[in-house]
Amino acid sequence: MLVSLNWLKTYVALDMPVEELTHRLMMAGFNHESSTPVGDDVAIDLEVTSNRPDCLGHIGVAREIAVLWQRALTLPKAAPQAKGKPLNTLASVVVDCPDLCPRYTARAITGMRVAPSPPWLLRRLATIGQPAINNVVDVTNYVMMESGQPLHAFDLERLAGGKIVVRRGRQGEKLEAIDHKTYELTTEMCVIADRDHAVGIAGIMGGASSEVTAATRNILLESALFDPSAIRAAARRLNLQSDSSYRFERGLDPEATDWTSRRACELILELAGGELASGAIDVGGSPPSPKPIVLRLPQLERILGIEVPATRVREILAALGNQLVSDGHGHHAVEVIPPSWRRDLEREIDLVEEVARIHGYDAIPEDVNVPMAPSARTAEDRVLEQLRNTLTALGYDEALTISVVDEAWSRTFSPWTDAEPLQLSMPILRRADRMRRSLVPSLLAARRTNETLGNLICELFEIARAYLPRAGELPQEDLMLALASGGDFLSVKGAIESLVARVNPALELTVEPARFDLFRAGRACALRVDGELLGYLGEVSDDGRKAFELRSATTAAEIRLAPLLDRAVLLPQYQSQSSMPAIERDLNLVVDERVRWSDLAQTVRSRAGALLERLVYRDTYRDPQRLGAGKKSLLLTVVLRQPDATLTGELADALRDAIVADCRAAFGAELRS
Amino acid sequence: MALTAFLAELDDLARIGVAAFGNARDPVALEAARIEFLGAKSGRIKAIQKSLGQVDKADKPAAGKRFNEVKLQLEAALVTAEERIRQAPVASDEPAFDITLPGRRVRLGHLHPITRTIDDLKEIMGRLGFSVAEGPEIEDEWHNFEALNIPRSHPARDSLENFYLATAQVNRPGGEHASPLLLRSQTSTVQIRVMERTPPPVRIISVGRVYRPDTADATHYPMFHQIEGLLVDRHVTMADLKSVLRLFAAAYFGGEVHIRFRPSFFPFTEPSVEVDMSWNDVWIEMGGAGMVDPNVLRAVGYDPEQVSGFAFGLGIERVCARRHNVTDIREFYKNDVRFLEQF
Repeated sequence: MLVSLNWLKTYVALDMPVEELTHRLMMAGFNHESSTPVGDDVAIDLEVTSNRPDCLGHIGVAREIAVLWQRALTLPKAAPQAKGKPLNTLASVVVDCPDLCPRYTARAITGMRVAPSPPWLLRRLATIGQPAINNVVDVTNYVMMESGQPLHAFDLERLAGGKIVVRRGRQGEKLEAIDHKTYELTTEMCVIADRDHAVGIAGIMGGASSEVTAATRNILLESALFDPSAIRAAARRLNLQSDSSYRFERGLDPEATDWTSRRACELILELAGGELASGAIDVGGSPPSPKPIVLRLPQLERILGIEVPATRVREILAALGNQLVSDGHGHHAVEVIPPSWRRDLEREIDLVEEVARIHGYDAIPEDVNVPMAPSARTAEDRVLEQLRNTLTALGYDEALTISVVDEAWSRTFSPWTDAEPLQLSMPILRRADRMRRSLVPSLLAARRTNETLGNLICELFEIARAYLPRAGELPQEDLMLALASGGDFLSVKGAIESLVARVNPALELTVEPARFDLFRAGRACALRVDGELLGYLGEVSDDGRKAFELRSATTAAEIRLAPLLDRAVLLPQYQSQSSMPAIERDLNLVVDERVRWSDLAQTVRSRAGALLERLVYRDTYRDPQRLGAGKKSLLLTVVLRQPDATLTGELADALRDAIVADCRAAFGAELRS
Repeated sequence: MALTAFLAELDDLARIGVAAFGNARDPVALEAARIEFLGAKSGRIKAIQKSLGQVDKADKPAAGKRFNEVKLQLEAALVTAEERIRQAPVASDEPAFDITLPGRRVRLGHLHPITRTIDDLKEIMGRLGFSVAEGPEIEDEWHNFEALNIPRSHPARDSLENFYLATAQVNRPGGEHASPLLLRSQTSTVQIRVMERTPPPVRIISVGRVYRPDTADATHYPMFHQIEGLLVDRHVTMADLKSVLRLFAAAYFGGEVHIRFRPSFFPFTEPSVEVDMSWNDVWIEMGGAGMVDPNVLRAVGYDPEQVSGFAFGLGIERVCARRHNVTDIREFYKNDVRFLEQF
């Protein structure tokens, strides 16, 4: 809201420096955006919060200043002399939709002369950046900027039947507004019409047909109250915001229509001459007066933490326009009837805030003793920290991607649900309007971004939620960890094994083949811990890379964190370690290609039993000439230890031979020396 | 044996031995010299000790004294030589080793700066007694609006001001009308969920993603992170709010910090304030705060006559950007590894 310093001075004495004025206003709730000199005036831009429409006019701001500096506020009388014909012989007003228009005030002036505005008015409007039109329109704008109540002047001669009908728009109805654009009206909108046609979009903009022009001699002046929600909806729908709609949307003083109407008539008579028709039309009339509010004085200390003297409380509330009710509350409470322009004052807490705002928040101390309370990090946060630290140690950078993807990306990978992704009513970014069911597409996109930027090494992880639809319930938001790497299947699998071991060293990670279009056939798996599904891992297929325009080889994985959070060991328990020496034996077993490591390892483990401390996979060796076609050699090491006695070499050799024998029996394995 | 002859022999041994130790260039040569002169079995000092017995009895004290001096002299020369050789560069036949070659470095990953900021803020608030609470990002209208004192007619509920889901609905308990779903526009939703299931006192922070239809530019992004604090108990005042915020800001930014409140307006708090902190003599905007509105306390079944509370909220991206001098918050979501590696 732009205010003119000189204009404010007409209501309240201002002798303080502008900086002091704007600072104090800021500390009372009106943020200072800027001060700009305009001629001998200063345009001050103040931010007015949505609960204070009373300060969308100079009088409201002046009133705040008067309260803060404890000065008198002087308002114009607004008492035009009505010497003309009775108004009801010139015009009539019917309100068909009192829900959208609770009050409609009208006056008429005849025989005026439309001309440019005088210099004083032009200067005021120039300071606040309001374009000058002619003396009549300028006065309506000036008075709106004075009181906050919008006005509209119709050319009375061009209102068919001299009639105003306030009604809902009709199906297919159209109106050319004064901006010379044509708007389609709806039955949700409040429309100002004459006997035959719509002549204005209520509270937003008047129509071109009844606009005041140089030729206008007689006007009908509208000062009305419209429903905030209806105005907001209409302004949105028409994509048409005006100074008027901005004010109506916020809810205006229901008692201001008449004063504003008289004030505008007074100025028009002064600047354009003519005669004011006698009498006024006021459809709807005054609403019931606001309900009294009781402020219990101890509530101030209970909420603010400071005492405010009772006399100061009364002073502040009275200065703000509240009517003090003499009452039986004694010294413990104050009862007030709030002013009609402060529709935001309804409850005791509203008065507490007003007292605090004017008394000043600087009076509240910043060094009181707040009682201590115990708090502990959540188990989830502790596990996530372990995972993140492990991932950074493994060389992965943490990415942060937006929770939505576009439809095409959404389709590339959805391992957790077959349900369609949740769709937003509008995209968040570009075409992205699907809540993601997996983080993998977003990470692959981030990898592509890095390829484009020439970043050769790009190892990314993200921990975030996937959104899985559930009918009739809030969606399931599962915390996921996704990885996108330039490494191969085994390197990413190793990273996941490290993560699982970090959280719980005893957990066994098992895999089984899985098929996804995103992954290369045979290079993808499902991951399980304790038999529970943990996630999926795979090397991205050629088609998958194409979908994300990725050039380089990529492996991606996604795991649910719930199974790990459930099994995390946050308080490891001590286990004594044997001091007996360990013995290692290397085995080099030649087997058929189809023999899987996990099966062979199982056989080794069950034969070695309690003596096996560790089974280490070393390598796979292939050489058709020396091993034969379709054969491979698996190199492994067993680390053996007896907890309470020295394990002899002979015993270790015997165990090795037994392992080889079992592997031969199970897989036809031959020891290669 | 004449004393003079014995002493002359000793002097020769001292001279030759000290020179031999001095000339030894490596541990092998020095060890050879040690064995030759100081060897326990057949060192030359041992041999000369034997001839000490042949010295005239009257001369023995003088001869013995000198013998001990020479022995100590040789031992000292050996220690000096050992020290010299230990510190000398090793001469060897191996190819020259370049110690300035880069080490075999393991590439480290980096935490996202937003994560680091969240961790810092959680840690500080944890020390102030606030526990972390979580809640859904996709919410019903009760938790995102109604319970937060944002009635149906409020502009904040406009469909263009929020990301509503196109179709999904949630059935309200008690068989009431189904509520449309939307992405939460603030983490205050978590406060409602916690208070609904926990009797006072409540002392929590909630951190997470929130969504508002802003056009992405250097200072706005339609998704961002928020941290909100809530303290509800008997006798909680705005002085407590100011004091907690001062402790928080002092812990995070360091140095002497002061807190300033400017009146503001939020539906879920009253009084509502904008919070500034003075840091290096400049007032910096921190975020919004206020006393929990009595309507909010009633909505979760608390009695506003019995308890009061404060709430505050900060935008994490803004804090993080200021802390690390990031000039465009879109960088946070681009995931350029050259950006990520800086943190």
